[in-house]
Amino acid sequence: MSQYKIIFTGPVGAGKTTAINSISDLPPIKTDAAASDMTKSKKSATTVAMDYGVMNLPGGEKLHLYGTPGQERFDFMWDILVTGGIGLVLLLDNTRADPFVDMKFFLDAFDKFIGDTAVAVGVTQMDVSAKPTIEDYQVQLGGMGLKLPVFAVDARVRNDVSILIQSLLYSLDPGLEE
Amino acid sequence: MDKSKNPLKVALHGMEDRTAKTMVMYLQGPCRGAAVVVSDSEADVDVFDADVAGVGALMDAHRAKKPHRPVIALSLRDGELAHVFYVKKPVKTDDMLGALNKAVVFLGRIKQNEAQNTQTGNPVKSNVEKADNPNLKSFVIDDDERKKTAKHQAAMQLNEKGFNAFIGNVTGLDVNDPAQFAVAKYNPKDYFQGHVESAFKISREQGEIMQLNSGWSPVIIFPQNNEIWLDADDKQLRAFSGLVISNTLDGKISTTALTFESSSLSRSLEKFHSMDAFLWKVACWASKGRYPVAIDVTQPVYLKSWPNFTRLLITPHALRISALLIRGPRTLANVAEVLNIKPQYVFVFISAAYALGLTGQARRESDALIAQTAEIKANKNKGFLGRIMSKLRG
Repeated sequence: MSQYKIIFTGPVGAGKTTAINSISDLPPIKTDAAASDMTKSKKSATTVAMDYGVMNLPGGEKLHLYGTPGQERFDFMWDILVTGGIGLVLLLDNTRADPFVDMKFFLDAFDKFIGDTAVAVGVTQMDVSAKPTIEDYQVQLGGMGLKLPVFAVDARVRNDVSILIQSLLYSLDPGLEE
Repeated sequence: MDKSKNPLKVALHGMEDRTAKTMVMYLQGPCRGAAVVVSDSEADVDVFDADVAGVGALMDAHRAKKPHRPVIALSLRDGELAHVFYVKKPVKTDDMLGALNKAVVFLGRIKQNEAQNTQTGNPVKSNVEKADNPNLKSFVIDDDERKKTAKHQAAMQLNEKGFNAFIGNVTGLDVNDPAQFAVAKYNPKDYFQGHVESAFKISREQGEIMQLNSGWSPVIIFPQNNEIWLDADDKQLRAFSGLVISNTLDGKISTTALTFESSSLSRSLEKFHSMDAFLWKVACWASKGRYPVAIDVTQPVYLKSWPNFTRLLITPHALRISALLIRGPRTLANVAEVLNIKPQYVFVFISAAYALGLTGQARRESDALIAQTAEIKANKNKGFLGRIMSKLRG
């Protein structure tokens, strides 16, 4: 039986662990550790390896959900991670000083994978920082020649994460039936 | 010189254990032992993650203690600080080796200067510069903002079954009959929608808090926050939005500016809505499955960007329609045909998206000539993707 996965990526604190937790059928296997002094101001624990969750599908199939480590240092790890992936969910933290830099970084880093599959962008923490707006993100993406689904997301809310993934799947194939 | 026999000693900062271990392996492996990780007290060079919170203060503290020690910063952005060698993420081996080489050269110069200054008796000047933390914004968490539940609530996803009851229909009109497409349209100006759009436009242009008076519950518009306040529930709003009011209320509808004081009266926080979510709903309920009169049903329509679906009422097939239209312009009938759905779902979606300015119409001949295939290429994993979709929509 084939193994398929969706990759959740984004900067530290963007909500990848929480988003996977929101839709996983099993408690996600977390690899969080107490944050170092450097990351304490953002969150009390940070993901040092990768998060894993799973959605059980009819017929015994499984969709695996992988979250990349929040620290984005080594491109060689990502090549391994995306093998067999059907798409990318990029979560961005709107309280970061320049989330557009983050967005460009991750889109560039996963450029080949996105070219072969699809990506959906979720912006978290918009109730804390309303700007940039979703429209601002779309303008930035337009400048990069991209028209991607970009939604405000509360990673704790299953429905938000679900809609984000649905947009990813329809981007892959609008012919999928509801 | 074989660098692995005389590796540079580096200390890591801003990296937790797992990442630090990976860095150790990275320097040994891909960087072929050009550097080795040691404790802070033994190091010749500091390597920082420049994107973590608090790095500015940490870097300041280190550079105050060791002003002549070269710094390598792994960063998402281009660096600006003098005497810091930036390596842009994701880290590439060639870039890392280049930065290590620069650090070696820098160290050589420092040692040379120290030797000369020792001879002349001059102390070495400190080169400490203030490092601003580029990744910290300060926020005052506004509890009131977080209590605006209507504004932040997750989207409601309608299915086909509940659509007609929720959206309504027009007596005597079958919007799904191709023979009636030409008349399956409505003029937003005849409905509350037109007045809401007009009031939003005025409020945004003038940057003023406005009140839309309609003989019904007033709508207070806060353009700076992109939100409105209305003392009515969705059921009441749906009923009012579906009424043709052009012949009865037009003369009574007005928009007036509000002073900040009068707009700041104590208001129930759960009755705040985002302007977009509000207008989207009002347009859906005015449409009743029809398309806006400004759309030429014979010409292709395009989608400028995806609607922010997590904060909007999601009508049946809206995500599919968006995914198709974002690829290129199509006529509304073609969208319905390709997706094998009732035209009313396309019409209502277009009505809402048009109200928010998210759609446009190809007016040039060349745009109209864009090939609209009747089929779309199915994804090779279509069956599996469909099962994920079923699970998500549960």
